[in-house]
Amino acid sequence: MYRYDEFDAAFVQERTAQFSDQVARRLTGDLNEDQFRPLRLMNGLYLQLHAYMLRIAVPYGTMNARQMRMLAHIARTYDRGYGHFTTRQNIQFNWPKLRDVPRILADLASVEMHSIQTSGNCIRNITTDQFAGAAADEIIDPRPVAEILRQWSSLHPEFSYLPRKFKIAMTGATADRAAIRFHDIGLQATTSKLGEIGWQVWVGGGLGRTPMIGKMISGFVPHEHLLAYLESILRVYNRYGRRDNKFKARIKILVHEEGLDSIRQQVEEEFAHLKGGVLTLPQEELDRITRYFAQPDYELVNQTTVDVAREKIVNPPYGRWLERNLNAHRQPGYVSVTISLKPVGGAPGDATDTQMDAIADLAERYSANELRVSHEQNIVLPHVKVTDLPAVYAALVDQGLADGNAGQITDIICCPGLDFCALANARSIPLAQELTRKFQSPERQAEIGDLKIKISGCINACGHHHVGHIGILGVEKKGTELYQITVGGDATENAAIGDILGHGFVADAVPDAIERLVDTYIARRTSADEPFITAYRRLGKEPFKEALYGNA
Amino acid sequence: MEILTGNELMSGATVYLDRDGRWVEELQQARIFGNEDLEAREAALAATRKTLRIVSLEVETVTLRDGIIYPDRIRERIRAEGPTAPRFDRQHLDEDGHVSI
Ligand code: SF4
Repeated sequence: MYRYDEFDAAFVQERTAQFSDQVARRLTGDLNEDQFRPLRLMNGLYLQLHAYMLRIAVPYGTMNARQMRMLAHIARTYDRGYGHFTTRQNIQFNWPKLRDVPRILADLASVEMHSIQTSGNCIRNITTDQFAGAAADEIIDPRPVAEILRQWSSLHPEFSYLPRKFKIAMTGATADRAAIRFHDIGLQATTSKLGEIGWQVWVGGGLGRTPMIGKMISGFVPHEHLLAYLESILRVYNRYGRRDNKFKARIKILVHEEGLDSIRQQVEEEFAHLKGGVLTLPQEELDRITRYFAQPDYELVNQTTVDVAREKIVNPPYGRWLERNLNAHRQPGYVSVTISLKPVGGAPGDATDTQMDAIADLAERYSANELRVSHEQNIVLPHVKVTDLPAVYAALVDQGLADGNAGQITDIICCPGLDFCALANARSIPLAQELTRKFQSPERQAEIGDLKIKISGCINACGHHHVGHIGILGVEKKGTELYQITVGGDATENAAIGDILGHGFVADAVPDAIERLVDTYIARRTSADEPFITAYRRLGKEPFKEALYGNA
Repeated sequence: MEILTGNELMSGATVYLDRDGRWVEELQQARIFGNEDLEAREAALAATRKTLRIVSLEVETVTLRDGIIYPDRIRERIRAEGPTAPRFDRQHLDEDGHVSI
């Protein structure tokens, strides 16, 4: 893992001291709220419906056991014994008191964590594949480049006040598990004709009020020029992005209105000036950073596979967990394990302090001291030996973390919604809870197969509803919460934005409506091997529309 | 009919202005401003701003039903009670979190 250098450490400490002083001045009344608000937001401190909320960055979703234990400590000491993992691979605490926040930041700094750049119109935490550095289908571990981008973007003088917030996601694998086509900039590792590894660059994707699929602006940028190329994009955006209109300020609107070719031409012009200049990334520097992300010392093991079919008979819950929650690893005899934070009736993404401590123990014991947060609000143990799976599973059972439902209908992405969020129009967590109860039967979930439900409590789409195979968006109409259902979204390399099929539903009617969609899919699929999203693409909207609204 | 609400600076707790000019946790103790109380409402807002201690100050419309204050927006009903799911008790004021105008 990356370790802070002297500059990083000094900088985070300085910011913590600075914010401590600002809080003290706010409490004595030397600063008023108008002066203080931007300062607290720069440190990830929001005011929500019931209390402050502190958002802590987990850079590219990577953590070690010590850091996870610190999050558990913060949950226990300053909050209410739990934290909420978000779709930005961050963690949020919902109940901190203002005077405790400087202490929390100091505790975080002691384990090389912070909450800088988790708010505001800057380049936010760079997200990536939760299996980065471990996945069998990976071309390259994206984290060294993610770290270099983090350093480049952290407090970049030109990019601290962009027209709007700016989100970058990257994947080093061929499968896109990081939703890169729905970010302001998406980076996908690729290999040139000469066998050189570099990056495909996608631009102008995003969710929110105006969802857009990113467009490929360059098919290949070598590592050494990536910073210069990204800086060129940012400069063009910074120059022309609509600062006058919040709803038009994201780069997706600029790309859409100006046209990809025109943007590309301007970026290329800028790039021609910057290329080969100070932003060129020397191979030694890339190598230096890459060493922080060295592969663990794998053991050569005899057992490289696990007999899932057998385990499903002997111990069905364990068998299901093996079937759903493992991801193929680059090293024979190892797998990545998804720890589901989606228990039946739970709040998606929430983990208690005790669970966080237990997860930290597992990371230390069985996963080379590494952890990942996924944008799907689960935790990953990236490097687990196949022979250790029974022990890991047993420990997860003890903690109520052993649901074998990754990628299934109950593995719901869900934003905090109107139960916490000051911007929300409707609640989202109660719906997720209801849906997990309705579809809790493992047999039913297995029958349905891969199906992603994503729920947002407002059009800002933190719950990624546009790209759910089934998406649910909460709106408020005449004092009632209504839910608009979309179908056919896809966050992967087959990117698609879900279709709105008709009017919204009241909360009580949503679970049955979802069930009708599911039943329609099962009745019409070619075989159990045809997933929901494939069937939807083949069948089109009509049968699903009829399922929701009848054929009147 | 309207009430004044906000969040107390130190705890972030949801609070309401009561009839005695104190910022309290209980929605049912909130002072109700009618159409004719516009001046008093503005004065209360101004005095509150001066304290620097109430954040996200808002005027919320409410309905009275059998003497019970019922905020018109769902958002406000959830703010008054605390999150519904997972169910948590609302945030409370610290001992030194009491504000008066
Ligand atoms: S989608 Fe809306 S309700 Fe949900 S967390 Fe984002 S801003 Fe809040």
